[in-house]
Formats: sequence, structure tokens, C-alpha cells
Amino acid sequence: MMTQKNAHYLFIAVLFALGAVMPLVLKQYHLNMLTEIIVFALYAVSYNLLLGYAGLLSFGHAMFFGTGAFTVAVALIHIPGLSMWSAIALALAMTTAVGFVIGGLLLRHKGSYFALLTLAFNALFYAVATKWHTVTGGDDGLSVTRPDLALGFTTINLAGLTSFYYFTLVIVGAALVFCWYFTKTAMGQTVLMMRENEERMKFLGYNTNISRLILFTFTGAVAGLAGAFYTLHFQFCSQSAISVDMTTTVLLMTFVGGTGTFWGPMLGVLVYVILQNYLSDITDRWPLFMGLIFVFMVLFIPGGLTQIIQSIKTLFAGKRGTGKPIAVKEVST
Amino acid sequence: MSDFPVFFLHGLAYAGLLFLVSAGLTLVFGMMNVLNFAHAAMYMLGAYFSYTLLQETGQFWLSLMVCPILLFVIGALIERFLLRRVHTYGHLHELLLTFGLAYIITEVVKWVWGNYPLAVNIGGFLGDTVEIIGITYPVYRIFIFVCAVLVGIVMALILYKTRLGIILRAAVNDGEMVNALGINVPLVFMGVFAFGAALSGFAGVIAGPLLSTYPGMAHEILIDAFVVIVVGGFGSLGGAVVASLLIGELQSFGVLLFPKLSLALVYLLMAAVLIVKPSGLFGEKQ
Repeated sequence: MMTQKNAHYLFIAVLFALGAVMPLVLKQYHLNMLTEIIVFALYAVSYNLLLGYAGLLSFGHAMFFGTGAFTVAVALIHIPGLSMWSAIALALAMTTAVGFVIGGLLLRHKGSYFALLTLAFNALFYAVATKWHTVTGGDDGLSVTRPDLALGFTTINLAGLTSFYYFTLVIVGAALVFCWYFTKTAMGQTVLMMRENEERMKFLGYNTNISRLILFTFTGAVAGLAGAFYTLHFQFCSQSAISVDMTTTVLLMTFVGGTGTFWGPMLGVLVYVILQNYLSDITDRWPLFMGLIFVFMVLFIPGGLTQIIQSIKTLFAGKRGTGKPIAVKEVST
Repeated sequence: MSDFPVFFLHGLAYAGLLFLVSAGLTLVFGMMNVLNFAHAAMYMLGAYFSYTLLQETGQFWLSLMVCPILLFVIGALIERFLLRRVHTYGHLHELLLTFGLAYIITEVVKWVWGNYPLAVNIGGFLGDTVEIIGITYPVYRIFIFVCAVLVGIVMALILYKTRLGIILRAAVNDGEMVNALGINVPLVFMGVFAFGAALSGFAGVIAGPLLSTYPGMAHEILIDAFVVIVVGGFGSLGGAVVASLLIGELQSFGVLLFPKLSLALVYLLMAAVLIVKPSGLFGEKQ
């Protein structure tokens, strides 16, 4: 009998294997889309760590995504000969710092207040990115070329899509697995329990404010990594990467997939990107349909696509999940 | 500085508009604890309705009467058939619902009226200029400020001097108890939401001739209105008055004094207020 944990590892291994054969199967156009999906999957998963796990609705996640994107772009342009690794490390350091400061400032507020404040700060970041023309390029954006990847024993040219796709698959995939691992750690479980009953966690001696700040900073850094890959993928970064629209996009993706599970948002991204591509081919009004789908889901399927999958599972298997928020696992000590 | 009085008056006019938008927003938030993302979208709807009415009839005063009524009905329908359904799921879902609605309204507006700015001209007395404190100034901007003052006074009178106001404030404190006393609280909340929508429509009609009417207008004012609420204190009417004035003048003089920083100044003010007093200038402790 396979245990729950082994099933997860098997699932991850299958996903990676599938990802590895994709370049052989897909055309350039679709491989491009798949790279985008992987990058946004990381962005959505980091967002769901806030929304689904900690119950924090943020309207400012693009702050981190955009900061990561711009850090990579600006660093690659202004520091000649910068290696791929240093560029990504810079983006991570930058977003960690931003996450820490913003989190320290905003996490004192809860619920709608927090949502509103993150929105306002996102607008501030956007205003700075638009106005600070000398650094960010303002409305024109920044074009970058991908540097080669130094691995010590060999150097890989990442100019082609296929090689960059494999690089994304490995690094972003590893980051996704790390996020999943994070939710299983004591820290991840603490966050879940805080969402359920914060008073009680306080009485048990946990410093909930620090836990929340750590989580916020962590998700910021992960979103920053996604942003860095966004710039590297499109070889371009404009202020749209840091706009409120970029936050609402990730909110839609996450919600469509379902906030109730770890893997749900990834499914949401897959469906969202594919749907957007096909809808925008058919009609110019695709945002309208996205909006309608979203409102329909809020009203009738608040658990997202994972809720549907769970109900189908329940139909056949009789029990299992309910599509409700992620439950706290019992921790044996 | 000779420009000083002009920019001061510009600031007052924008403050008036900001107050009209954020009053409805803060009312709904204070009463129902719903952060209404669709508020600015409804404001935009008001502006577009008014544009069409002006095209057809040319009567500005008529559209100033009719558009808020239309928005009142739309607001009531949204509350009754959408918002109330998700109420049991909690605030997060209410917020997400209004967010989705804002998305849809914006797209519908682009569909019906096109994705470009429309100019609204009002003739007659309001389109004129007038001589005050030695400068020639458009009557319309003064009219906006007067409207905002009147709306503010009426709202304060209703909230603090009438029986309805007492019911409203009591329903916020303990809805169940008020319900038990024989008052239809869901109906009261529907009224509040619809009134907020009507206010947004009123603001939209007012905004049309000042700013141009275009699909991005909702987004633009939404963030400013949110900043007003944050700075003034969540759900506080008096805070909204002070914060609107502050931000209106800051925007106006920001353009004059620090043109490069003008966009960021408002957010810097917000950040400063948050650090010093997290609940806003007039906010109660959360």
C-alpha cells in the first residue's frame, strides 16, 4: 500500500518526467506557452501560500513579481558580464528585503484593511516604476538578452527556447517542490494553525506576528523568483509586470484553480493561460468572459477547479476530500 | 507665486470629487464591512450613462437626477442577488465578488461605448467662468466643491440626526439585536449598498465634464479613493472629508512643485500616516 507521502513524491516525479519530454512533443509556440505556464505556476503557488494557507488576501503580490523582474532586467543591463546565477540571486535578495519591509509595515492590519493597503502599495510601486524613467525605462520597458549559464564544468547557451525551457523546468520546478516542502515543515503547519485559531496559537507560546512576517517575506522572494524568470523568458520587462493587473491576474489564476490545495493554483494557471490564449484568438472581449467565469465561480464553486475534481473523486470513491480549505495535519511529536 | 490661488482651487475641486467617490465607499465599508471594488466601476457607469443622456437630451440637471437613480437600482440588484448569496462565505468572497463585478462592468463599458475617451460638454451657466479673488475661474469646478459640501452635510444629518441614522448605526453594532427589534436589517443593508451605488453614480456624472469619460477612469480614481479611506480612517465620514482635502491639495500642488514626484506623493503621505497612526487619522482602533 502506497503511503500519502510517497504518492506525492511519485506525482512530482511524473510531473518532471512529463515536463522533460514536452520539448520533443510540442511545437515552439506551445513550448513557449508551457514555459510561461511554469513561471506563472510558481507565482500562483507563492500567492496561494498567502491566500490559501495563511488566509491573507493580498492585492499587492505584483510588487514582488515586478521587483524581481525589474531587478534582473536592470542588473543585466547595467552590470556587464553578470552571470545568470548572480542575476537571479540579486532578484531574490532584493525581493526578500522588500518583502520584509513591506510585511513589517502592513501585517499589523487584517482582512479587508490588509487587502486595501497592499493594493495601495502596489500602486506606489507602479507609480515609481513608471516615473523613474532612467532606471526602469518607464513606458518603454527594458529589453535584455539572456546570459549563458555557467555550470562550473561547462557553459550552456540559453538563447534558444528549448535550453531555456529546461533551465526553467529545473529551477522553477525545484522552487515549486521547495514550496511544497515548506508547507510540510513545522513553520508551514504553524501558518495553517494560525489561520484556524490565532488566539490559541498565541496562548501556546507561538509568536504569530513573526511567523506571519516570515511567511510573507518567503512568498515575496518566491514571487520575485517567478518575476525574474518572467523577464528572462520574454527577454523584456515593462511596468505591466509590477501593475495591479498583474496581481489581479494571479488572484484569478489561483482562485480558478482553487485555494484549497497546494497543487490547485498550478491547475488554475494551466487552464487560465490556455483559456486566455484561445479566447483571445476568438474574441477581443476575452476579459469579459474571464470576469463572468470568475463571478460564476465565486457564487457557485468557491473551491475552484479542485473542488470539481474532489467532487468527482467523491462520486467514485465515496469519501476523501471535500474541497474545503487545506486542513491541518496532525503532527506527531 | 501667482499660480497659488488657482492651484488651491483646483485642489479643492478634485478634493470634492474624491470625497463624493470615497463617501459612498467608506459608508458601505463602515456599515457592511464590504470593501467594494466595484464602486469605482459604478462611478464610471454613472459617467457613461450621463454621457449618453447628455447626447440625447442635453440636460445636465436631468442626468444629475436620473443617473444616481439608475445606479441605485443596479446597486440594489447587486446586493440582493449576488452579494447576499456570498455573505455567508465571509468577507473574502464578498470582496472577490465585487472585484469580479468591476472586471465585468469595465469590459461591458468598453464594449458598449468603445475604448477611447469621450468629451462631455455642458453648456449654460455651469460651463462659464466667474471672477473670484481676482482670478477668472470655471464655475463648474466651484460647483463640484459645493456639491461635495452639500452631500457631506446631508449624509452627516441623516447619520446623526434621524431615526434612520440611529437604526443604521445600531445595525452595525449588533445586527441581530436590531433585527429582533422588528427592523428588517437585510433591507437596511440593501438600502445602504444601493445608496452607496447612487452616490458613486452621482460622482460619475459630476466627474464627466471635469475629467474625460474613458474606461480607465475607474481604475484611476479607485486607488485615490482607497488612499483617502486609509488616510482618513476606515469607515469614518469625517476622516474622508479631511483626507479628501489633504489628497486633493497634495495632488494639485504636487504637480506644481514636484512634477516628477507627483504620482508618488500621495502614497508617501499614506505610508507616513500608516507608520505614525496605523488606523488612519480619524479611525477607531481595529
